[in-house]
Amino acid sequence: MVYPNGVKALDRVNINIDRGEFVFMVGESGAGKSTIIKLLCREFLPSSGSIRMFGRDIARFRRREVPMLRRSIGVVFQDFRLLTNRTVYDNVAFALQVIGASSREIRKRVPDALEMVGLTEKAHMKPLELSGGQQQRVCLARAIVNQPLLIIADEPTGNLDPKTSLGIIDTLRSINIRGTTVVMATHDKEVVDQMRQRVIALHAGQVIRDQRGGAYTYHGV
Amino acid sequence: MASIGVVAVTLFILGSFMLLNINVDHLTDEIKNQVEIIAYVEEDTPADEVDELRVAIIQLTDVEEVRFVSKDEALERLREKLGEMVEGYGEGRRNPLRDSFEIRTIIPEDIPAVAALLQSMPGIARVNYGAEVVESLFIFTGVLKWIGIAFMLGLALTAAFLIANTIKLTVNARAGEIMIMKYVGATEWFIRWPFVIEGILLGSIGALIPKLILSYLYAQTVSWAQFNLIFLPLVSPELIMGQMSTIMLTIGTVIGCLGSLVSMRRFLKV
Repeated sequence: MVYPNGVKALDRVNINIDRGEFVFMVGESGAGKSTIIKLLCREFLPSSGSIRMFGRDIARFRRREVPMLRRSIGVVFQDFRLLTNRTVYDNVAFALQVIGASSREIRKRVPDALEMVGLTEKAHMKPLELSGGQQQRVCLARAIVNQPLLIIADEPTGNLDPKTSLGIIDTLRSINIRGTTVVMATHDKEVVDQMRQRVIALHAGQVIRDQRGGAYTYHGV
Repeated sequence: MASIGVVAVTLFILGSFMLLNINVDHLTDEIKNQVEIIAYVEEDTPADEVDELRVAIIQLTDVEEVRFVSKDEALERLREKLGEMVEGYGEGRRNPLRDSFEIRTIIPEDIPAVAALLQSMPGIARVNYGAEVVESLFIFTGVLKWIGIAFMLGLALTAAFLIANTIKLTVNARAGEIMIMKYVGATEWFIRWPFVIEGILLGSIGALIPKLILSYLYAQTVSWAQFNLIFLPLVSPELIMGQMSTIMLTIGTVIGCLGSLVSMRRFLKV
């Protein structure tokens, strides 16, 4: 993947992620994690090679089909990106409103999502009244409320303390156990080491390690 | 609210300029239509030949109207203007004036060409239309018209730019929301239509306010001018305000709609 400004962000990356997997992408800043995430969200297309999601080459999606692709993906951001002037409930409901869900569906699904992340009690608070970890849970609830096939989390614990981070990861794991694929970019060593899931390590745009049940750092076999 | 103000002020200036331009146009037309050619007939031309001349003149392509003024009628007009100074002419003393034709052309700008044609007709002694004055008047009004059009185009562009920028600000303020909408899979039109409606509302309300103010001010100006500036023939409000409103509302709505579509484009890039 070469950016228009000539920066080569990814080089001959070949990754296959199966349905229901939990995958950590690790690597220092600039290794290419964010580029992979943006490619998966189809923010842009690869300059060469192809990406297949849910059995289709995503370059083949027509412009108006892209929103449909995104409805099968839930994205969690490091900086939460919540609407600060709306309540927790409304933030989660927003994801359903904009895809035209019925109000009956919204009334059913939003409480489910909030319960899943443990925020039922906080539904009527504004995001800025919550702690960082709670805000990230709101973001998580918004990502899962549409019942996506894939959750993409871009350093979701980057702004959180270790204990809160583990709580977020636990929630992600329980979502994963229910069958949703999770891809998470991180440089949170503690989290990765504790979870022992598949780890894809990137360096300078190349995959240097792809290991099941791996740890953050590689100690050889 | 501030955006509506910006649009209203810009369209107010544009509207004022349109009114000014229409009136300048109207005024120059009035002046131009008063310009006519006077063709003097050779002395002692028999009446039947004079009539033949009249027919020949009316058959010229660009001529709209020909009026014969006999020398007696010309003397009468002179007497009305000058009174005693022309005392005695016509009764005892010989009338020194000539028969003449007053000719109007269909388009005022054709006057010099028609005058030249008349000059070459046998039986016509002299042609007068105030050549220098008329020609420079036409050049002047022509330049004035183009300056007016250039100004209006400039103002319309300024209005478009201001409105697009204003909408860009409101879009910018909600960039975060738009971003989230994109990520959770909202369709482009779902994201776009509230902004397009906002743009249309902004444009049409922004046009309605100056339209109302201008209608009122212009009606006041015209009724004031009717008594105080009798020589200045302004276009009556009933004749132009309807058209003005349509133009302003159209400009406002179209610019508002286009402005929001253009400002949205950057944010909708997939």
